[in-house]
Amino acid sequence: MTNDRMMKRSWHLIASLAVSILLLPGCEPTGETGEFEGRDKVVFWHFWGGRDRTVVEDIVARFNASQEEFVVRPIALPGSNLDLKFFLSVAGGDPPDLMNHDDPVVGDWAQRGVLTPLDELATEEELSRLADWVFPAARKLGTYDEQLFALCNGLDIRALYCNKTLLDEHDLPLPKTIADLDRIAETIAPADGASGRRRMGYLPDPRRLWAWGVVFGGSFADLAAKTPDEMVTADEPPVLAALEWMAGYSRRYGPSEVAAFRSGEQALTGSSFPLLADRRYAVMMDGQWRVRDIAEAAASSNGERVDEFIVTPLPAPPGGRTDAGWVNGNFFVVPKQAKQKRGAWEFMKFWIGFADNASVAAEACAAGGWIPVAHQVVDQPAYQQALREQPLLEEFVRLAASPNQMPVPALPVASSYYNQVNQAAQAVLYRGADPEEELRKAADFTRARLREVSDEGK
Amino acid sequence: MHRRRLITGLLMVSPWLTGFLVLTVYPFLAALYWSFCSYDLLSEPQWVGLRNYRRLLSELVEGGTFAQALTNTAYFAIGSVLLSVVFGVALAVMLSWEVRGRAVYRTLCYLPSVVPTVAAAVLWIWLLDPQQGLVNAALETVNVPPQGWFQSTSAAALPSAWPEDHGGRIFGSKDGLLLMSLWGVGNLLVIYLAAIADIPEQLYEAAELDGAGRLRQFFHVTLPMLTPVIFFNVVMGLIQSVQAFTQIYIVSDGQGDPAGSTLTLSLHLFLSAFKDLDMGYASAMAWVLFLVVMLVTVWLFRTSRHWVHV
Repeated sequence: MTNDRMMKRSWHLIASLAVSILLLPGCEPTGETGEFEGRDKVVFWHFWGGRDRTVVEDIVARFNASQEEFVVRPIALPGSNLDLKFFLSVAGGDPPDLMNHDDPVVGDWAQRGVLTPLDELATEEELSRLADWVFPAARKLGTYDEQLFALCNGLDIRALYCNKTLLDEHDLPLPKTIADLDRIAETIAPADGASGRRRMGYLPDPRRLWAWGVVFGGSFADLAAKTPDEMVTADEPPVLAALEWMAGYSRRYGPSEVAAFRSGEQALTGSSFPLLADRRYAVMMDGQWRVRDIAEAAASSNGERVDEFIVTPLPAPPGGRTDAGWVNGNFFVVPKQAKQKRGAWEFMKFWIGFADNASVAAEACAAGGWIPVAHQVVDQPAYQQALREQPLLEEFVRLAASPNQMPVPALPVASSYYNQVNQAAQAVLYRGADPEEELRKAADFTRARLREVSDEGK
Repeated sequence: MHRRRLITGLLMVSPWLTGFLVLTVYPFLAALYWSFCSYDLLSEPQWVGLRNYRRLLSELVEGGTFAQALTNTAYFAIGSVLLSVVFGVALAVMLSWEVRGRAVYRTLCYLPSVVPTVAAAVLWIWLLDPQQGLVNAALETVNVPPQGWFQSTSAAALPSAWPEDHGGRIFGSKDGLLLMSLWGVGNLLVIYLAAIADIPEQLYEAAELDGAGRLRQFFHVTLPMLTPVIFFNVVMGLIQSVQAFTQIYIVSDGQGDPAGSTLTLSLHLFLSAFKDLDMGYASAMAWVLFLVVMLVTVWLFRTSRHWVHV
């Protein structure tokens, strides 16, 4: 064979391969085959991993078995860059039909026209019924500019976990006021003690300024305001008062001590979370998912005496809000370019129990240790049974219904705002920076970004 | 025949050429265009002229996030390059000595370089834990107070960043990153070892005849002969340290924590583009970063004639 012929053959081979590669995407089957043949496929992206993933897959299986029109295909994308993958899919014109998320992104994405407002999917009757059906916090989480863009399927509520046994040992009452909390901190870890402490009564976490700011009476934003400058209120007096109070702990122990103490928590994950590990805290703020950790620790104690824990709401200062705090949660969004929006809506309703199937939603919430988004689901026998088995959950469920549970305000720069406030609180607690100055910087930065985004929208 | 060979040649390099044009040239030029736009990734870019550059300038003047990121990047880049040269050369010289078990020592020094970045970062989080980390435990044995490392905003080389109550606890998150960067010094070690092996033996013999001891031989023979390699490593190290991302993302909780003390330009760029949906601003930052690195590289080349032995 001559060189020329060999080369020709090689080129034919390369060309065939290239054409095959280019044609491959077009060969993807468009309809469902097998058990669900003929149904419309709903592509569902979610971030659930570990044991929660099994619960998710169970809900999907129940939905697929419940009707004959749609089939939901769940795609798990655990990790921290779900946003990035979503943006790429939107830019590429092939987003999922439905996505579950838990970051404060509804305002950012809705303002940019990426999300389908739910009034395009639901009937008027459904929407009005839904508004009363879900808890206020769930409604706020999905709303941007007075329009519902996301449907919340689970709430994350924070409260104080108190080690009753440890408090009793020091003759300390459960914290009902801010002064009680300060007394617990001072009694268990006196300010004049040696550095390198291994136990704290209470120590504020910088990320929890979002919760304490609300408890002290702040709201972080005035969504009814007309200008971006008036809309962002991170430097309002109640938020400043909350941060000043948190800074008191940094002054009491020293920023280096506070930062070093917090660090130990990185090494304590899962069931050995800081409240349990070596009784690191007498009181700490955390979410409802820790109930499961406490139960598991008790179950693995092999009959040894374990500490008793009690959950209490965040105590409010005079003039503050009761049963208040920062709430986030898991929510569904439907991209504007989704191909199967109706199927997505049917699945969302099914998951939260709004499709006359509250008992199914209750079973899922009970299995996952999640907080339902509606009273009707809480009242189901399956969830009531879960509350009897895990009594610590009860306080979280009660708080979930409170109108004083506030999410990060639904601004078009909410994601950046959330980080700016956290960075301000970290600078105060870990560096000893001035609270007023840091909050003003965070607010000014967000105002400038909001002005830019608002100008572009005009 | 000539034309045919040219076409064949071009076709042969076409996979690389396509990759270069699509994955390097296009993003490079697209980023330049976007730097003059407001672009949120989700809708069409809108031309805004110099607004993104003006914002960078005002943040630089007023000490905003960009200034903080630039300071952090400079601290990390200068520190990691200096440390890598000092430790790299020192280790290479010691490993070039004829001692028993030299191959084992060389292997041990190179071994960390093959550990994946993510695994190494997680390992360092544990090693530098202020309360339970091995590094602080070792420091305690020589009466050095436990350092804050990744939990502290302090920086040992910047007294203005030391907390008021530091009591000797001056090493913070940026210093932790510098320690981590030494983990990969094994790669440089190989280059330095090869360069040392290339130094003509006669130079040492001549120095010895002139009465030079080991230290003098190092400063007057080894070091000057290594300067071309040091220069290469400084330039490459500078570029790599400015682009460092993965390990910083992991130890800083993906946010530049605590309080922005590990927010380097690459991380700030990523967060601006993909979290804050501000690709225009991020692109402007990328171009400023590119220009800064280019200027520093040019400066290094210009000054090299004074200190690089040729």
